[in-house]
Amino acid sequence: MSLPQSLRTSVTPPELELIACQQLVEIIPLISMEKTAFISGAYGPLRPPHKAQVPLWMALNLKSKKKCHIVAPDWLSVEYLQDRLTEEISKKDFSSLPFRFTEIAKVLLDVASDDLQNPDRLRLLLKDIREARQAKSREGLRQLDHSALLLTRLCSMEINEIRPFFIQSMGVLTQLTRQSTSES
Amino acid sequence: MEDDYFSIDSILADNQKIQCIFNKEIPDLGHLWGGSERDIAAQGKYQIPMWMAYIVIYSDWAEFNIPTPFGNRVRNALNAEPRSVRLSSLVGAGGLWYGFGKTIMDMLSDEQANEMSQMLTKTFRERLVEVIDQAQHFAALGPAGGGGGSTGDTAQAFREGLDATERELFVLAQESAKRTKKWYEDYDKGRR
Repeated sequence: MSLPQSLRTSVTPPELELIACQQLVEIIPLISMEKTAFISGAYGPLRPPHKAQVPLWMALNLKSKKKCHIVAPDWLSVEYLQDRLTEEISKKDFSSLPFRFTEIAKVLLDVASDDLQNPDRLRLLLKDIREARQAKSREGLRQLDHSALLLTRLCSMEINEIRPFFIQSMGVLTQLTRQSTSES
Repeated sequence: MEDDYFSIDSILADNQKIQCIFNKEIPDLGHLWGGSERDIAAQGKYQIPMWMAYIVIYSDWAEFNIPTPFGNRVRNALNAEPRSVRLSSLVGAGGLWYGFGKTIMDMLSDEQANEMSQMLTKTFRERLVEVIDQAQHFAALGPAGGGGGSTGDTAQAFREGLDATERELFVLAQESAKRTKKWYEDYDKGRR
């Protein structure tokens, strides 16, 4: 109960980012390192010309010290995102993107934008996609019902953004709806 | 909103007055409604708070009319355009229109209650989108946005007419949009 109201309803975006940073990415190391044990598992060894799989947080750390290049995930490319954007605009459903794509895309664009092709274009595309998806989740709000809500393929950051007031308003609707008499 | 014993909202919603028509004389209880008379007269009309009305109505001492905030005039206005009704001015300070409606609904017969429930749900749903839209709009204006950011008279009138339940939702949506926006824009170099 001592937590501030804002932290009671849902997790914060930085926390989601932290969770997303557990995912594995490919890097091209510039230093060599023996296989090292961390709490989440053992990673390495790093041998410079060969690619290696490490968690995102480690990749970001190495990258900021200029000790590796990060290989961008397949979906973080102009062509792929352009396709998704077209799909997003032309179809009613959400297009399928990785569940934590917003978080990963953001940290990669922040820290490793020189490893990505055409980062500015990527930023623009991500922003457009985000806006198109927001419009759709707003449509979902219109159909809100006291018992269930179905928005397939909504990603974690979007869920987190709408969670507090969707829950609250569904709670209110539950109060206002009389189901006991019609059923019993 | 919920029927929780400890819920402040539910206590506040219970504080609304409702007009009751007594059908029997009750001696020596006139002081309960702050009147100067000694007895409660049969057929007398008294405004009594909800929390007391329950027992009076359930014991068949009195009947009640649907209070004006849910009467025909308001109902017609809501049917025409839910977003143009000022819910906050229908009920007194604190303004728990939905909460009050719920308590009334619980005391009505099935048919009336269903109608009431429909009205409440429909109103809530239609207003919700506007509430959230405005909340997100205000969040987008940034930290200093609150003061100068009035966008047209209708939007402002709508905001002033929000009932306490909607206000709470407004704040939730605004906070959450603000937090997400901040995250999108922040780049904390020191952290990595």
